Amino acid sequence: MSKPKKSQYKESEADQTSTAVSLADKKFYREAYLPKLKEKRDRSETDDIAGVAEGRAQADTMQALTARPTLAATRSVDTSADIASAAGAQLLQAANQGAQGQRQDQLGVLKSARGLQSTATAGLANAAKIATTETLARAKAKGTRTSALFNAGNRLAGAFGQNLSDANAYESSPDTDPDGQDQGNFFQKGFGGIDTKGRG
Amino acid sequence: MSLSTMFDESIYGKMYGNQRSVASNLPTVSDPDKAFAEITRQDYDDYINNFRDFEKRLLDATNDTTLIDKARENAPKQAQIAKDIQRRNTERYGGAGLSAAQRQEQQRALQRGGQLSLAGDVNNARINQRQLNQATLQDLIGIGQGLNTEATNNLASSAANTAARKNAYGQAKANYSSQMTGLGTTMLLAAFGV
Repeated sequence: MSKPKKSQYKESEADQTSTAVSLADKKFYREAYLPKLKEKRDRSETDDIAGVAEGRAQADTMQALTARPTLAATRSVDTSADIASAAGAQLLQAANQGAQGQRQDQLGVLKSARGLQSTATAGLANAAKIATTETLARAKAKGTRTSALFNAGNRLAGAFGQNLSDANAYESSPDTDPDGQDQGNFFQKGFGGIDTKGRG
Repeated sequence: MSLSTMFDESIYGKMYGNQRSVASNLPTVSDPDKAFAEITRQDYDDYINNFRDFEKRLLDATNDTTLIDKARENAPKQAQIAKDIQRRNTERYGGAGLSAAQRQEQQRALQRGGQLSLAGDVNNARINQRQLNQATLQDLIGIGQGLNTEATNNLASSAANTAARKNAYGQAKANYSSQMTGLGTTMLLAAFGV
């Protein structure tokens, strides 16, 4: 039985290669990835994701509620109040989404720094998903309804005026048959138009 | 057969031959144990220097009130913007045929709406802020748990290694003592010609 030799206990070539590769990987990580992680750390604290989201929410709200100013909306008592509350609600929604996105980024950095698995979603992408608040939807629907009612009223008044004018012209025309001359009162003329047999 | 010879002859050698030379040129690590100790120290130093303060700030952020503060600021601003829009539109329609009483009522409605909006937004902001802070806390606790478990496992492993070394040392001492006793006995017996 021979004495144990130190060379018999030497690392295998595979072990040596694995150690060398691992060390090279660690060095590369430190040189290439660590600065990136530090950059992401700084950006996760300084990027104003909520600001971007709020800007978009403000624009969306104003586009939805004030893109086409109407006389009806201007005369309405509560349009301004609706705009203010819808904008406030949208901004809150945006600030919330932005803050969530920012936290997500920050926690991702910390997880990476701690060597844990981190999610790949970016906070800004999350902030882009600003949901339409109920307040904005309600204000928008109210505005649409007011405009529709106003337009319907306008069309009705136009038709009434046209009928009235036609009936008056028919009544006063010398060519009109005397039996059909009386076209009735103001409302009968407006809603009914010309009646060739007369309403008297 | 050496690893490099096996590599040359294998399919991987043919496919990735040029990369093998890169790996072969890496410096040999003479003392992996020492290298590992240095890397572990360096990793920890990197973490402390670059991320410890960041982690502390994030832990403090679980008491953040930004959303509530913003809601308080936003409501009056939005009321002012809406008021300005109303004024411009009224001018655009040449007064829009509004009487003084109607204009006054518009102002009142805006003030009421502004206050209601402020109260509603701040209440909602409180809920959102709480949810956000709780979610952050939950995530941080998860990170902390992972860290704690890893540290416990490493400590357990270190303790087990120390215990194993201690036992091996004790065993070696006992073996040596037994061998010496045996040798002494043999020599004594030989001296007396037994």
